[in-house]
Amino acid sequence: MKKFLLLFLSFVLVFVFAGCAKKAVTAPVEQEAPKETAQKAAPVEQKAEAPVMAKAEPKKVETVPVKEVTEAKTSMFGNILFDFDKYTIREDAKPTLKSVADWMMKNKDAKMILEGHCDDRGTNEYNLALGEKRAKSARDYLVSSGVAKSKLDTISLGEEKPLCKEQTDDCWQKNRRVQFISGKAGK
Amino acid sequence: MNEKFRVKSLELKVFIFFFCFSFLTFNFQLSTCEAKIYIDITSPAIKKLPIAVQELSGTEGKQLADIIREDLEFTGFFLSIDKAAYLEKSAEAFNPKNWTVIGAEAVIKGTVRGEQNLTAVVSLYDTSEGREVLKREYKGTKASLRHLGHTIAGDIYQHITGEKGIFGTKVAFVAEDEGKKGLYMMSWDGTDIKRLGIKGNFVLRPHWSQDGKRIVYSSERGGQWGIYLLDFTKMTEKKVFASRGLNITGNFSPDGDEIMFSSSQDETYGLYNFRISDSKLTRITSARWIEISPAVSPDGKLVAFVSDRGGTPQIYIMSRNGHDTRRVTFEGSYNTSPSWSPDGKKIVFVGRVSGKHQIFIISPDSASLTQLTDKGNNEDPSFSPDGRFIIFSSDRNEGNGIYIMRANGEAQKKITPPWLRAFGPRWSPN
Repeated sequence: MKKFLLLFLSFVLVFVFAGCAKKAVTAPVEQEAPKETAQKAAPVEQKAEAPVMAKAEPKKVETVPVKEVTEAKTSMFGNILFDFDKYTIREDAKPTLKSVADWMMKNKDAKMILEGHCDDRGTNEYNLALGEKRAKSARDYLVSSGVAKSKLDTISLGEEKPLCKEQTDDCWQKNRRVQFISGKAGK
Repeated sequence: MNEKFRVKSLELKVFIFFFCFSFLTFNFQLSTCEAKIYIDITSPAIKKLPIAVQELSGTEGKQLADIIREDLEFTGFFLSIDKAAYLEKSAEAFNPKNWTVIGAEAVIKGTVRGEQNLTAVVSLYDTSEGREVLKREYKGTKASLRHLGHTIAGDIYQHITGEKGIFGTKVAFVAEDEGKKGLYMMSWDGTDIKRLGIKGNFVLRPHWSQDGKRIVYSSERGGQWGIYLLDFTKMTEKKVFASRGLNITGNFSPDGDEIMFSSSQDETYGLYNFRISDSKLTRITSARWIEISPAVSPDGKLVAFVSDRGGTPQIYIMSRNGHDTRRVTFEGSYNTSPSWSPDGKKIVFVGRVSGKHQIFIISPDSASLTQLTDKGNNEDPSFSPDGRFIIFSSDRNEGNGIYIMRANGEAQKKITPPWLRAFGPRWSPN
């Protein structure tokens, strides 16, 4: 019973955090959206395809927050970050990896998907390989900490799912990450 | 593995129509002449051929002439003479004296008849010999005027250069629509954009089979990266390979029966060969480092690929069975995305310069490295089927779009519309 209560509590916590993340994410997006449409409105008039553009434009702006909310909801642990073009585990990633390993050892039924990501300064295919290597580095670290390999899965999304899109060092660093997504055993 | 399903989509039906229609725009050769090559485009120093493309008389005659003129000019082998200099009117009979005096060496004249269904008769004249060297009749429709114009331009180009040209080709590419990436098709000039109704959140650049009937691509579906084959003749999609880890397809072998791809399915990265006819999978390489983006050479003997075995991503070449590996790129710390020229004498790739991605050409023996772009970030380069042009994606003007340029880097122009975020283009082989 105690276990169930704990699990239930942790789920509640996840949703609470998800709620916070949601608010934090949507604010800047909403500020940016009108700017983008305003900027792009000018060239529309010169082109013959104007009606198509008018239809396509608002759709594109709306999709951004949808993506980010789903990501925040599933992250129970913080992301671990990587150096530019590298897939070696940094010192500052080790505490997070340790708490993931501890949680996995306590929750024997749990499975974890390690999602590798990159900033957008690489080429598409190579970035996917780099993201895969980052996820595998994190997985190997967890395995060496005692987590069963069969409970860990990796996937790379390369530069396809950035957390932010600014061309700044801060944003690039945020995107060079591995995310931990928990799932129930047997899935 | 052999799970098949029909791709249902309105866009696809439209596309099938477009595909079939290309065969309906037939043409008759009314008179044949002995072949004479006016421009030797294989020679290193080309003198542009001064050509006059006169407005065709009749409906849509001006538009048709404009398409033909733009097509020929884009190749870089023609110098179009300003219409204002023309002495002869459209309806008047060809008189070489009217043209030699303004410097034209070749002249195009013709007529168009009909309202919706058009019949065009187009002639090519040699002004120095003072005679008609090509005359053809074409049938097409007003709705597919660009296609008709490209067909005419293609015949003229072939007569003058002896090469087939690219005016009838298509481009398969990736574009973003409602937050999802999908596969698209268009004409080489960026018109006739159609979406293919395939599944998946993410899809990577497609590769054509040499007969132009199939494309292969990688797509992420349900948390797995898989490799899929789309057959245009049946409009069916088939899964070739999917597993845990990363599976990214390279191109077809020249005979179209094999596909090279990269997979990390069993912990280490490896390049694999998949034979379609009997589903035979052969592992070619095994590496603790990254090995990705295999590109089979046009003669089927070599594979160019990307590896970070030396600490940074660089381009390597090996034989098809994985032997005789050697490094090709030595400049810079980031070289990826290799693709061969149709004659196998060049490799086009992406190199990083001051943090930005640029397109380069190198020969397989590492000689003659040339940088072709210098604006924005440029990715996914590949050659046109005749080897004279390169198609690529760029973010140089806000938003990613698809660009084409001559193989020497001249005449770079965007072909996709500003509202479409487009990536990963591949030119059809025919």
